[in-house]
Amino acid sequence: MDIIILALLLLTAVLVVRGAARKWILTTWFITLVLMLALFRYHVTSQLDLSF
Amino acid sequence: MTRTFPKLLFWGMHAWVFAYIGVLLGAFTIQFAQGEFPCPLCMLQRYGMILSTLGALWVIMQARRGELTPARYAQGLGLGVLGAAAGALVSVRQILLHIKPGDPGYGSPVMGYHLYTWALITFYVVILFVAAVSILAPVGIPEAPEGKAALTVSSVVVWLFVILVAANVIAIIFLEGFALVLPDDPDSYNLITQLTGG
Repeated sequence: MDIIILALLLLTAVLVVRGAARKWILTTWFITLVLMLALFRYHVTSQLDLSF
Repeated sequence: MTRTFPKLLFWGMHAWVFAYIGVLLGAFTIQFAQGEFPCPLCMLQRYGMILSTLGALWVIMQARRGELTPARYAQGLGLGVLGAAAGALVSVRQILLHIKPGDPGYGSPVMGYHLYTWALITFYVVILFVAAVSILAPVGIPEAPEGKAALTVSSVVVWLFVILVAANVIAIIFLEGFALVLPDDPDSYNLITQLTGG
């Protein structure tokens, strides 16, 4: 999943630099954000122990 | 003021990109020179930084092409803040995981703070920077200076960032290998371990 996210980030950066259509840039950017948040959700496996 | 401010803003966007180039290079130094493997949450914070920087890159490239409008400028800043907010979410989680007294934290501290604390500080700096330039938007929006030297400097910053993202892709392929996700506490480069059967 991390490989896919970073590959999408690289793709988005290249699209921005090459001046691709804005809809493609925004689409890849938002897909990457959603994947990142999904991966974060996957890694949150326990409640925080904040009883001091 | 009104003539120089758009150019200052243009370089301000470069400062944003350049600052994150420095941060990502620092993370690489700790990963490769000190041999510390980044945890899944550390990688997620890098993604937040890159997502955020793409907002600045969007503004820079459109300003260079003379296509930047106030609406597109706002869109770029929005991407930057959203990326920073996503990264900050991960930083806060990691800080809270290690906040209890006696917890040594993950990895070595740098200038007294762990990397995830520094990451949160950088995300807040981005959010404050965007707030400031948004408030000042009626004064002007970024405008690329004329002259070959300025555009060369701009291109160097832009391509440095792209190369650094590409380097991160290569590094994560070695770190993750054929696994779907990173282990909670990585201690080797998975791809090498999997290929050598070690």
